[in-house]
Amino acid sequence: MNKKNSLERATSRSTAIAAAVFLFPALAMILIYMIYPVVDTFVTSAYQWNGISANKVPVGMKNWQDLLKDGAFWSAFQHNLVVMVFSILLQIPLGLMLATFLDAGGRKFNIFKVIWFFPYLMSSVAIAFLFNYILATKGGIFSEIAGFFAGKKVYVDLLGKNPSALFAIIGVMAWQFTPFYMVYFIAGYSNISPSLYEAAIIDGATRRQYLFKIAIPLLGPIFKTACTMSMIGSLKYFDMIWNMTQGGPAGGTELMATYMYKLSFQKFNMGYGSCVAAGMFILITVIALLFQKIFVVKEDY
Amino acid sequence: MTRKILCTLLVLMLLCVGALAEGKNIPELTKEPLTIKLWDIATEDPTKSIQEGAVARFMADYPNIKVEQVHQQNDNYKQQLIVAMSSGQAPDMYIHWGGGPMAEYYKSGFVNDITELYNTYDHPDFIDAAVAQATYDGKILAIPFGGLSGCDIFYNKTIFKEVGVEVPKTITELEDVCEKLKAAGYVPFSLANGSKWTGSMYYMYLVARHSGNDEFNAAYDQTGSFTSEAFIWAGEKIQEWVDKGYFNPGFNSLVTDNGEDRALLYDNTCAMMLHGSWQVRSIMTDSREWYEANLGTFRFPEDEEAKAKGVPQNVEIGTAIGNGFSFNCWKEDGSVDQDKLNACYVLATQYYNDDTYNKEQMANNTTPSIKGFEVGVEDPNMQVVINTFFDASNVQLWYDQYLPASVTEVHKDCMTELFGKTKTPKEIGEAQDAAMKAELAK
Repeated sequence: MNKKNSLERATSRSTAIAAAVFLFPALAMILIYMIYPVVDTFVTSAYQWNGISANKVPVGMKNWQDLLKDGAFWSAFQHNLVVMVFSILLQIPLGLMLATFLDAGGRKFNIFKVIWFFPYLMSSVAIAFLFNYILATKGGIFSEIAGFFAGKKVYVDLLGKNPSALFAIIGVMAWQFTPFYMVYFIAGYSNISPSLYEAAIIDGATRRQYLFKIAIPLLGPIFKTACTMSMIGSLKYFDMIWNMTQGGPAGGTELMATYMYKLSFQKFNMGYGSCVAAGMFILITVIALLFQKIFVVKEDY
Repeated sequence: MTRKILCTLLVLMLLCVGALAEGKNIPELTKEPLTIKLWDIATEDPTKSIQEGAVARFMADYPNIKVEQVHQQNDNYKQQLIVAMSSGQAPDMYIHWGGGPMAEYYKSGFVNDITELYNTYDHPDFIDAAVAQATYDGKILAIPFGGLSGCDIFYNKTIFKEVGVEVPKTITELEDVCEKLKAAGYVPFSLANGSKWTGSMYYMYLVARHSGNDEFNAAYDQTGSFTSEAFIWAGEKIQEWVDKGYFNPGFNSLVTDNGEDRALLYDNTCAMMLHGSWQVRSIMTDSREWYEANLGTFRFPEDEEAKAKGVPQNVEIGTAIGNGFSFNCWKEDGSVDQDKLNACYVLATQYYNDDTYNKEQMANNTTPSIKGFEVGVEDPNMQVVINTFFDASNVQLWYDQYLPASVTEVHKDCMTELFGKTKTPKEIGEAQDAAMKAELAK
């Protein structure tokens, strides 16, 4: 009895050691590259600092007070919310549609899978340049098509005006990220056991009934994760927008992240920039947690 | 006997060394091994090979000194530099564009004051405007090594001839030219205002023609205001021109870095473009043939009303230094690392900016900001640019580089709103005043 106990203890101890050893590199990475920067951002947000000088002036909560009253930040946050809502409304249903199509088609549609996945493989910067040309007022696709129907030169200016610039950006984001959710849903479909399909067919269900009554409800947990990812992604979005509009025209596509970048690296205001970054962190965390709480989906059959 | 010969030889040698040293009055450099970290943005030829050449000549003459030349991407450069400075990895010698950021680097302790070196030792005979732009708070902080850039109107000679208009001398004449061009089916100006500083050029010039430097200088230290007469006049003029269709439609989304404004010249949509003189180089590279057949240049027309009131009409917009090198040489204890600083100074003044370097720059259509180089220009367009520049009573540096960094962003957004007519000239003036006041209060 005693012997067994000590053996058990020895095994559990060695498991614990092994676990610690194996986990250490990952934990160290997380500590150095994730926890420390977040903490440091919060610390920096209590200073007035231009980002380079050795002279950091502690200002306490002043940056935070400014942030609460900062119209530019809250308007950027509103843009983020608009982007978030439309991202979820566009990317996820489109992704699901494409996935359903591919799932129904089976192997003979593999070529579509490759083609549709393509946008996700491109770098955001490349996409930004690509769409700058596509949306150009002169020689861009929309201007040319409109010109063709109007029979004269027409200039469609999507990126130069508000609010069309923000919606143009949302469209481009959907183009970029829909393939990701498509693949995600394909994986979801392939996880559904074929026996369910067979059972449904034997019970006399049509393909449509199977899809809407069985398959899609079973994707519930995947929907939730996809929505969360899309949400967080659009709240912290930066790279493509920076390369397409830099937050312009006149702040019309300014998101929290571009605002933070401008403050920190262009306006020499690292202290306040860090405060914006910390504010973003809080807002994103709160929104993501709320979402997790509110949307409860059944996890199994 | 042998001793005598040896002695003579030694004396001769000393004399030679003395003569060599006398030719140039430069600080004597250390014989110890030394490494200089240098950052520039010369990622592309021919600029890249020109600058690498200067460094190579320096290292050949001073084999004990190693220069680590790093070419940074222009787009990320300012950010890279800030990160490097804040983490103690800043280079010993780095490129910048003068203006607000240079002041910011200096105030944070990453720029050596080189006034004394500059006054003691040899340096190229830079034009006054260049020295002024490398100076902050009465201290010389940088050695120019780029070229000067003017800002002028580039136009299509063929279209002007076809429509039958002459180069305008006054703003009234310019408006007349615009009307005639429009009647002939051309858009007068090509503007890619997605970049914002492109629209700013019209604003800056109209302000300068209407009030010289006075009102801007007053607005800068807020003894005046960005809502004063010349600013309102300039803003109203711009919005009037927008209404009359003097600019291509959709200008607020075009980006000049992609050459979208040049493209409108090439396909004969537009007849003119107010821009920096580097466009001469770009257009030539795009198509030599088109360049030679069509491109002409004239200086921004004069404001006859203001002229009658005695406002100088030769305040020009541009930059006299293009790029400058600042030095960041300190010892551990925070005192100046004079050995390294001397080496950097010699590299920047005697190898960058030497005859070979300047000749290569000229071949690349870049005019060094050094006295005497205005005569060697052969290209007719560059001649107009250079003459305008050298005849200027004062060269106003681009607002977006001259203003403090935090005001620059506000100014640029104001340009979008002014041209896009979402704000009035008075409103943008007030926005810029508020930003300037906040900066001064810091």
